[in-house]
Amino acid sequence: MDRRKMLALLGISPALVAGTPAYAGTAGRRREGASYEGSDETITVMNPAIDNKVADRVPLAPRLKNLNDKMIYMVNLAWEGPDAANYFYEAMTDWLQQHYTGVRTKIGVTAEGMFGSDPALIKSIKDSHADAAVVGVAG
Amino acid sequence: MSRWAKQIETQVGIPTVCVAMDNIVHYAVTYIREYYTGMPLRFVAVPFPFTGQPKAVDVGYVTGKDMLNGGPLMASVVSALTSPLTANEKISGAPANESVEPRLLPPDTEDNLRALFDAKEWSDYNWINLPTEKKVMAMLRGTSHKPDEIIKTVTITGGARPLSVEKVAISAVMAGASPEHFPVILALATQAPFGNSTSSMANMVVINGPIAKKLKFNSGTNAMGPYNRSNAVVGRAFTILSKTAGDLRNNVNAWESLGSNFQYNNILYAENEDNLPDGWKPLHTQMGFNPDDNVVTVGTGWTSISSVGGSQELYPVHYLMRDYMSSLTASGSAATIVMDPTVAGLLQTAHGFKTKEQLSEWFSQNAEKTAGNYWGNGVIQSTVVPLALQGLEPYAGWRKVPNETMIKPFTNSRAIHIVVTGGKIQTTWFVTDFGMRRGVKIDDWA
Repeated sequence: MDRRKMLALLGISPALVAGTPAYAGTAGRRREGASYEGSDETITVMNPAIDNKVADRVPLAPRLKNLNDKMIYMVNLAWEGPDAANYFYEAMTDWLQQHYTGVRTKIGVTAEGMFGSDPALIKSIKDSHADAAVVGVAG
Repeated sequence: MSRWAKQIETQVGIPTVCVAMDNIVHYAVTYIREYYTGMPLRFVAVPFPFTGQPKAVDVGYVTGKDMLNGGPLMASVVSALTSPLTANEKISGAPANESVEPRLLPPDTEDNLRALFDAKEWSDYNWINLPTEKKVMAMLRGTSHKPDEIIKTVTITGGARPLSVEKVAISAVMAGASPEHFPVILALATQAPFGNSTSSMANMVVINGPIAKKLKFNSGTNAMGPYNRSNAVVGRAFTILSKTAGDLRNNVNAWESLGSNFQYNNILYAENEDNLPDGWKPLHTQMGFNPDDNVVTVGTGWTSISSVGGSQELYPVHYLMRDYMSSLTASGSAATIVMDPTVAGLLQTAHGFKTKEQLSEWFSQNAEKTAGNYWGNGVIQSTVVPLALQGLEPYAGWRKVPNETMIKPFTNSRAIHIVVTGGKIQTTWFVTDFGMRRGVKIDDWA
């Protein structure tokens, strides 16, 4: 009778005796491809991870002293539609105008979406002489 | 968003604050900052979901709290634009902390190594073949390409990771593949990583050419099921190499809300080229490859709808496929119809479609949905609305019609692919939204 079947009939898992030289066949030597599971023996394996390049650091633009009399450009990235951020930016404009004198806002919708580039919008920000920008809203 | 803010800060030179939703803001201020922009951009966060809310909710977000630091949102906005820069925010130049991955991991027991691979999220959490150097060297004998050859630099989700032939071999060993599979896996690696989105993006992989038979890929009964080693291990290898090359980690830079079970195998199967009806070309020859070329084609999508039962005489099969297509987003006009050879035969003999191209054209001309259904999807809103805003037709016109107006959203018949596979057991099929990229020649990686 096959040894594995015999052990199974006796209610003994072949795995329990797999470590014995009689069952493994080669005492003290591990067969190629055999599992090291549960063993204290150490092995060396290759590293699947890849070097990841960290981006060069870029400083932020200088900040403003306050928002009084400033022009704030609100960039609508059209995430999930060009209308998605409308209520939010309108409410943000109201809040700013209630809290800062002379603050002005302008909302610009990117024509190329969040993943595109829109030189015309960047030009619009420059032409507006904006002092600061808000970019959003995306998730 | 970070890219936009960086552009404004550096090109316009004005302070900028990003308003993100709290589902992704931590990714923006950690991974993206370190590996993509290099800028400690200032963020505030609103609750998610944001879109589709009544006006009162969005107004409440403005007067509510910043989900990133817990204070009032507008106080955070003002602070982001006016608080003086810290020393950290003034740093420029190359970073000091470049990561260097050792070629070999420190020696350890198998149990500890398995725990490490799980903790690092390098596996799919099924049992892997640990990549000893000997096994990886054996895998590398499956190609003539040198181990240090760079296949591509993976930049998706940020950073820049050079994907070498040796790294792909490690993933192939982990997946349980054999050296003869390796050229297929290398060709697949050119398309890595797999889909990664907040939505349940996934992939479909089709094998064409003589290699399908040579390596015993399944294109017969259960072609898309767990009944074949080559389908299983090559599909799995794409998952593992996507995770390692993409550095994809759950809630770090992999954030699909529901995820997709398709990502365990990437719907890998071979086309049943022997049982195509006369005049119906295999997928790879439709793309311009020779019939004897071995090609792997990768598609990206989300959805697969089963016919469930077999075809019936009372309602032609292509009518039912067309009806099911109305449930697809039609993003990029993409659809892939996967059908049993018996269905393909029926479409040719009973319904007169002499070529796959004729059938694709028929779907393009006849699949419809309402404008409301089309625009009601966030992916369409994010990707197609920009085209409409630029005045591109038919999208600009579709934005102006009432929601109940019927439109034909599959505008490009060439983006509607037909693939024949299966064992001629039942007249079943799948309608899917996978958009197929151009195939990759496996022979170039032998």
